[in-house]
Amino acid sequence: MEKKKQAIWRYSFAIIIILTGLILNYKNIGKEFLNFNSIGNWLIYIGFVMLAIVTLQFISGKKRIVDERSQFIGMKASRITYVAIILVAFVTMVIDGIKTITIPYSQFMSAFVCGVVLVYLVSYKILEKKN
Amino acid sequence: MKTKITELRKKLKLTQEELATKVEVTRQTIISLEQGKYNPSLELAYKITKALKRKNVEEVFILN
Repeated sequence: MEKKKQAIWRYSFAIIIILTGLILNYKNIGKEFLNFNSIGNWLIYIGFVMLAIVTLQFISGKKRIVDERSQFIGMKASRITYVAIILVAFVTMVIDGIKTITIPYSQFMSAFVCGVVLVYLVSYKILEKKN
Repeated sequence: MKTKITELRKKLKLTQEELATKVEVTRQTIISLEQGKYNPSLELAYKITKALKRKNVEEVFILN
């Protein structure tokens, strides 16, 4: 029941994203975003990716157990990610001070978010083997 | 922390998966506990002791 409820929430969120994308495209708001020709198209793409992921998770039927060990590892991985964010922010400030960073904010943030997720996943996997 | 989980589990003819299901954790957690890599919380230690049909936690977990 819990899983069904969760899936409904996720489906609703994905549909809202797709609808937002369609509205933005219809109103012709936002151009050129992360190599997409509009923010609307990007949102539609993300919405469909989300729909696919939620459907796959729902079909697979695997019950994900979150026990105290995984919470412990997750907490440690979060701490490592937090330190990595501070380091990256510091390095970015120094680089920007030496030579102004001219890449678009959206591009920088997308790379930053991908980096954060990657650091979390890698540190989680390493800690999982150690603990 | 040393444990007698493997020994007691085998006596009861339980698999790691079965024990994990009984105490509501993943099989990986049981593996880590058996290898002494992870120290369980008091709650989990009690659950495992009960699942292995022992009365005292000290019969399953031994502090170094």
